[in-house]
Amino acid sequence: MHIVIIGAGKVGYFLAKRLIASKHTVSVVDKDKLICEEIAKQLEILVINGDGCDPRILEEAGIKRADVVAAVTGDDEDNLIICQLSKEIFSVRRAVGRVNNPDNEYTFTELGVDVPIDSTKIIAKIIEEEVSFSDFVNLMSFKRGKLSIVRVDLPKDSPVINKQVHDIGWPDNSVLVSIVRGEEVIIPKGNTILQAADDIIALTVIGNEPQLLELLAGKL
Amino acid sequence: MYTIIVGCGRVGSELAKLLSTENHDVVVIDRIPASLERLGDTFNGTTLVGNGFNLNLLKQAGIEKSHAFCAVTNGDNTNLICAQVAKKIFKVPKVLARVYDPQRAHIYAALGLDIISGTTLFASMLRDKIIESRFSSYLIETKDLGVIEIEVKKDLAGKTVEEFNIPGEFLVVAIRRLEGVSIPSPTTTLKAKDILMAAVRVASLEKIKDRFGL
Repeated sequence: MHIVIIGAGKVGYFLAKRLIASKHTVSVVDKDKLICEEIAKQLEILVINGDGCDPRILEEAGIKRADVVAAVTGDDEDNLIICQLSKEIFSVRRAVGRVNNPDNEYTFTELGVDVPIDSTKIIAKIIEEEVSFSDFVNLMSFKRGKLSIVRVDLPKDSPVINKQVHDIGWPDNSVLVSIVRGEEVIIPKGNTILQAADDIIALTVIGNEPQLLELLAGKL
Repeated sequence: MYTIIVGCGRVGSELAKLLSTENHDVVVIDRIPASLERLGDTFNGTTLVGNGFNLNLLKQAGIEKSHAFCAVTNGDNTNLICAQVAKKIFKVPKVLARVYDPQRAHIYAALGLDIISGTTLFASMLRDKIIESRFSSYLIETKDLGVIEIEVKKDLAGKTVEEFNIPGEFLVVAIRRLEGVSIPSPTTTLKAKDILMAAVRVASLEKIKDRFGL
């Protein structure tokens, strides 16, 4: 795939390095001339010095043949405009935009960014989950937040302990994905029996988590 | 009209004062508290400090009941995003954005935003004044068509409006006389010293100037 990255700060640089390592073609755009020179020295890729909000600069970076554009500057306005220009003028299939201020995530989604990535929120969430004692953890959301993969740690008094998977009345629009038992990952079958302290990984439509939690933990 | 203005620079503050003296409800938002001082002591609208596309701040500004929204910060991208938030998320009926960069202005105008590009506007205004002082194209926001003011000379008095109109090139739309301004019919007779206001193609300007002896 050809990927155009706008913003060559820490995120842009490491992203470029990783993508090159997995054999993608990458070009990088940054406003800062010194940063561009530094990247050009270190990575063998096309580096363009200029404003990524300028369609001519995007064209120089090869946006017309890009499959994905990743706008990862430190400026939310720039990232959003870059994603819009890429999609509207250059018909790039997928626009990934970094959200610096969590308040802007909804706006990114509403204004057409396919994948808004809010690093602040992601980090805050991980920390929050590490410090909380909740039995229910949202591992990731996708399809614009309509679908979620969640983890439920079965408490000792869970009503589903010692039951077989096919005997459990799973809520609509929820699927059991796997069971983590200590170090072991179990891909469940109908006759798999749940045990106390099992971690249940399930896929669920957002809005159905309360039913899932009630079923597995016996409480909301 | 309940109007929200984002950006309290020279344009934003001037606009806010204009609307507010005409008794419209005005809310002005700027990131920098000191910018709001431009409004002066007599401004009787509301001011808010913060980011003009922050959804909560906009709700606080009363965007849900606003009739018009105007983004005039000094950042093109900020204005484009503010305007899109007002239009797409809050469905404000009238949304305007200032964009300096003519290219981006053109792209976003094509995508359906109401964009005013000061750069293009001012450049064509200057162009107009250079080629013909009584001609202005900026009024109708196009480069090819403009409005011209012409004083009728004695030797043309007695002719009718339709003798001057050229379809597709020149059309007299108003006549100013001592008695006032009127919209002429094709048979209206011109008098000396009448001031004609006419729509004209830039390409036909020279021809018209010859015709009226300018």
